[in-house]
Amino acid sequence: MGWRRWTALAAVVVGVGLTALLLGSGLGHDPNRLPATLVGRQAPDFDLQAIDGGGQRAHLAALHGEVVILNFWASWCVACQTEEPALRDAFERYRDRGVTLIGVSFQDSATDARAYAASRRIPWMLLDDPGSRTGLAYGVSGLPETYFIARDGTVSYKAVGPVNQALVNQQLRRLQAEGAA
Amino acid sequence: MTGRLPLAGLALAAALLAAAAALAFAAISSSGNSGTLEQRAHAVAATLKCPVCHDLSAADSPAPVAQQMRAQITEELRAGRTPDQIRADFVGAYGEWILLSPPQQGLGLLPWLAPGLLGMAGLALVAVTLRRWSRPHEADPTDAAAPQLTAADRRLLDKALAAARGEVD
Repeated sequence: MGWRRWTALAAVVVGVGLTALLLGSGLGHDPNRLPATLVGRQAPDFDLQAIDGGGQRAHLAALHGEVVILNFWASWCVACQTEEPALRDAFERYRDRGVTLIGVSFQDSATDARAYAASRRIPWMLLDDPGSRTGLAYGVSGLPETYFIARDGTVSYKAVGPVNQALVNQQLRRLQAEGAA
Repeated sequence: MTGRLPLAGLALAAALLAAAAALAFAAISSSGNSGTLEQRAHAVAATLKCPVCHDLSAADSPAPVAQQMRAQITEELRAGRTPDQIRADFVGAYGEWILLSPPQQGLGLLPWLAPGLLGMAGLALVAVTLRRWSRPHEADPTDAAAPQLTAADRRLLDKALAAARGEVD
C-alpha cells in the first residue's frame, strides 16, 4: 500500500506543479500585448509606389540617415482618423529636421485610399502596398500601427493603435538626440 | 469491487493511449512536406495563424491578409525557399505567436512531450493491470483471521443449520 500512496502523492504533486507552471505562465502574459519583434532590428526594406498614381516611389534604403515614421493605415480604419492630427503636427514640425513621414495603406483598395487621402488633403507621402508584402514583412496585425525607424535603419519603436502628439514628439526627440550624439 | 478496478484501469489506459496516438498523428500529419506546390503552400499556411483573425490558420481564413499570406508562401516556395525559412520570416516579423504549433523549446516542449509521456503512462498502467490479473488469487485475509471451528462447534453449527432448514421447509 505504501508505494501506491507515494505514487498518488507524486502524481498529485506533478499535476499541481504543471498546472501552476502553465497558469503562472499564461496569467503573466497579456494576450492583447503583441511582441514588437522588429524593435532593435534592421527595418525591412521596401520600394513602393505612391497611391496617387503619379509614379513617385519611396525606397527605404534611400532614406538612410533620416528618421522615418512608417504609418500603416487604411481608409476604412476609424482609429487611423483619430491619430491623423498627431501625424499632421509631426509632419509640419519635423519635415525640415531630418524626419520623413510615410503612410502605407494596408488591406485597402488603391482607389479608396486615394479618394480618402484627397478628401483629407493628407500632405505626407502615401504608398500602395500590393499583396501587403510590406505590411506582412513588418508584422502588421491591426490598424493603425506606426514604426519609428532610426537614422541607421533600425526599428526603434513600434506603436500599436493610434499615436498621440506626446508619444510622437517623445520618440522623435529621442531619435534626434541619438542621431546628434 | 476487485472485478471493476482492472476494467477501469484498462479503460483509462486505452484512453491515454488513444490520446497519445491522436496527438502523435496530428503532429506527424501537420509536418507534411510533399505534394503539389499548392498543397505544400497550404501545409505551410496551416502552421501559421491569420494575423487579423482569432484562432484561424492562414490556410483556413477567408480574410484578405490570409489570402495574401498564402500567395506569398506559394511564391516563396516556387522561388525555392523551404517551409522552415518561410516560417522563420513570419516569426521574425510577428513573433512566435504567429505559429499555430508551439515552439519546441521551454514550456512549448510540453505539448510535444505529452504524447510520449501519456503513452508511457498508459503502457505502465496496462502492465500493472495485466500483472494483477495474471497473479493467482491470494487467500482472503478475512478467512485466515476467522477462528477455526472445533468438532463440537461444527456439530452444533450443522444441527442449527438443519433446524433452520426444517423451519424454512
